[in-house]
Amino acid sequence: MAGATRTRPTATRPGAAPNDGRRRLLSERTPRAFYWMVAPAVVLFAVFHTLPAIRGLLYSFTDSPGYGPWEFVGLSNYVALLSDDRVRAAYLFTFQFALVATVLVNVIALGVAVLLNSRIRAKNALRGLFFVPNILAVLVIGYVFNYLFANSLPAIASALGVERLSTSILADESLAWVGVVVLAVWQAAAFNIIIYLAGLQTVPEEIYEAAAIDGARPWRRFWSITFPLIAGFFTINMVLSLKNFLQVFDHIIAITNGGPGTSTESISVLIYRGGFQGGEYGYQTANAVVFLVVIVLFSVVQLRVLQRREVSL
Amino acid sequence: MRSPTMRRATGVVAGAAALALLSACGSAGSESRTTITLFQFKPEAVDFFTQAAADFEAENPDVRVVVDNVPDAETLLRTRLVKDDVPDVMTLNGNGTFGELASAEVFRDWSGDPLLKEVNPAYVDVVQELGEGAPGEVNGIPFAANASGVLYNPEIFAEQGLEVPRTWEEFVATAQTLEKAGVTPVYGTLADAWTVQAALAPLVPQTQPEDFFEQRFAGTTTFEQGWPEALEKLATLYDYTQPNAGSRGYDDGTQAFARGEAAMLVIGTYAIPQVRTFEPDFEIGSFALPATDDPAATTVVSGVDVLLATGRDGEHPEESRRLVEFLLEPERVAAYAEAQVAIPALEGQVAQDPALAGLQPLIDAGRVDGFFDHQFIPAIPLGPQLQSYLLGGTDMETTLAQLDEDWDAVAARRTWGLGAVES
Repeated sequence: MAGATRTRPTATRPGAAPNDGRRRLLSERTPRAFYWMVAPAVVLFAVFHTLPAIRGLLYSFTDSPGYGPWEFVGLSNYVALLSDDRVRAAYLFTFQFALVATVLVNVIALGVAVLLNSRIRAKNALRGLFFVPNILAVLVIGYVFNYLFANSLPAIASALGVERLSTSILADESLAWVGVVVLAVWQAAAFNIIIYLAGLQTVPEEIYEAAAIDGARPWRRFWSITFPLIAGFFTINMVLSLKNFLQVFDHIIAITNGGPGTSTESISVLIYRGGFQGGEYGYQTANAVVFLVVIVLFSVVQLRVLQRREVSL
Repeated sequence: MRSPTMRRATGVVAGAAALALLSACGSAGSESRTTITLFQFKPEAVDFFTQAAADFEAENPDVRVVVDNVPDAETLLRTRLVKDDVPDVMTLNGNGTFGELASAEVFRDWSGDPLLKEVNPAYVDVVQELGEGAPGEVNGIPFAANASGVLYNPEIFAEQGLEVPRTWEEFVATAQTLEKAGVTPVYGTLADAWTVQAALAPLVPQTQPEDFFEQRFAGTTTFEQGWPEALEKLATLYDYTQPNAGSRGYDDGTQAFARGEAAMLVIGTYAIPQVRTFEPDFEIGSFALPATDDPAATTVVSGVDVLLATGRDGEHPEESRRLVEFLLEPERVAAYAEAQVAIPALEGQVAQDPALAGLQPLIDAGRVDGFFDHQFIPAIPLGPQLQSYLLGGTDMETTLAQLDEDWDAVAARRTWGLGAVES
């Protein structure tokens, strides 16, 4: 990416625009200014992102525990990944979680955004209120939710006589993921609502008036007008949510710490635990490289599919 | 065991870093004194060792001591080793990392040194079991120890007319009596998986076959053969916890115990200061968890929390030894143990803290075992697997089979040393 930005201004070949003084002036002078503007970002990006990433790639071919001496072990880390049950379980959990959370977040956020965009009282105050979860740190609300799940929910459930929920769902291997989903959706919906609100405001009022004259009911107006016209925003929200949920980390640290057992261990949590606490830095770096490729693939496919349905006025 | 230390560590890191900077600045002066470095790992003990170094300098005008208090000591020490820059004197935690470095011949051998005669031989054994540069070597001198067992509420025990149990059978009977009286026998904190490992620590050495880990590393035994009794007793122990144990963590546990909501906590002595933060005058008793029906077979699990080591080929062996000798003076070790609620490692010294009194007789008798987790491969999620087992997610056979499978898988994909036993 950085390379492309840099080379584009000089791409004009000398023979392409002969004897055009003004043009040559532009191609010689302006790029230099651009260089200087871009340079700090390029340097920072390279030093703090690209170089560490390349170093990480290098470590994935070693047996390094993260410090001290190491040796190249070729592709054996990648081969070992294929037969690791813990890795497979983490991928399975992460994808299930990301899928459920992405769908829920977008359904809820779109619904709330449509309501917040209609003619209601205290609209601005409500919009502010719905944004609050986004500005709170996940770790902080994680501990609050942890308390709710561990104490309040069981108390309510046993008062109502619901046996299944009378113990904490976080201590139940088959239900703990629900706790993580609830926390993640509650927190992530706020940001998606804002994006959808912005999208809804780009839809001109006249179209609705015309549709109303033609006798379209609200449900029909939503599916035939609103939704197609904000499809671009839908694409962005879907891609960003899925990517964020695939990388889920702090939600899990705050609420279940991967447990009970390893039932809510996401790939990021596994990489962190195995790599830093378990002393298998090289091995988990290989896992991280694979995971990066998977996320990129998913995002590209998702963008392709969703962009096909976008329309413009 | 790792979590409370880490939590405390973060608070002290800033202070430690500042001190390290200051001492680094101070060392720049050129003088005739010999300068040696004291590499200090324990964030809670920064003040103690800084003061001790100053006292040492006052008594030994020819030596200057630079105290290097570091956060994340193990990583830093490893990077220094790569550069062949071994500190003169080190305080280190007696864990698997120490064992690995000792086996790599990083530290000098103290065997035969008169200093070692003053130390409780049981702790010398623990250090040797972690790892040694060559057979028979002792590469670190134990300074202070901690232990894992049962912390109990003497008031509740007195109310119910209970004695400290001496066998596993008596322990179960005690728990049953408490349960019948409507008292929670043991406060379970399953939400923090590492606390389960702390409860397993006393059960494993008393029930597993001798040399289990050596054989497991060699592949001649399995967890399925060596650990069923320990896991079974662990499950029994957790049968006597409060109903919501699955959602309670370490902090909840120490707090509930301080409020008198449960009669016992199965945890290490490092929890005592935390219990006292909630209830400063709370009386705490302790005993070693008996895992067999022979009272004479009960051992206390104790680890060397702080040991002293010096570089194998240090530039100033004489001055380094003088500092080690100074630190090991009985009143200094005693003062440290009192301040940190630790068990002094010197022969004949006893822990002054009343909360440790119940463990002291076993320590004096040398009936001490090390923490098994120092020999366990850290890449295997033992805590979470035990958590799942106790919450009913997996049965015992599956748990044991899983441990064996994970062990073999990690051993197969790891090309470097698996701790003291193999290398």
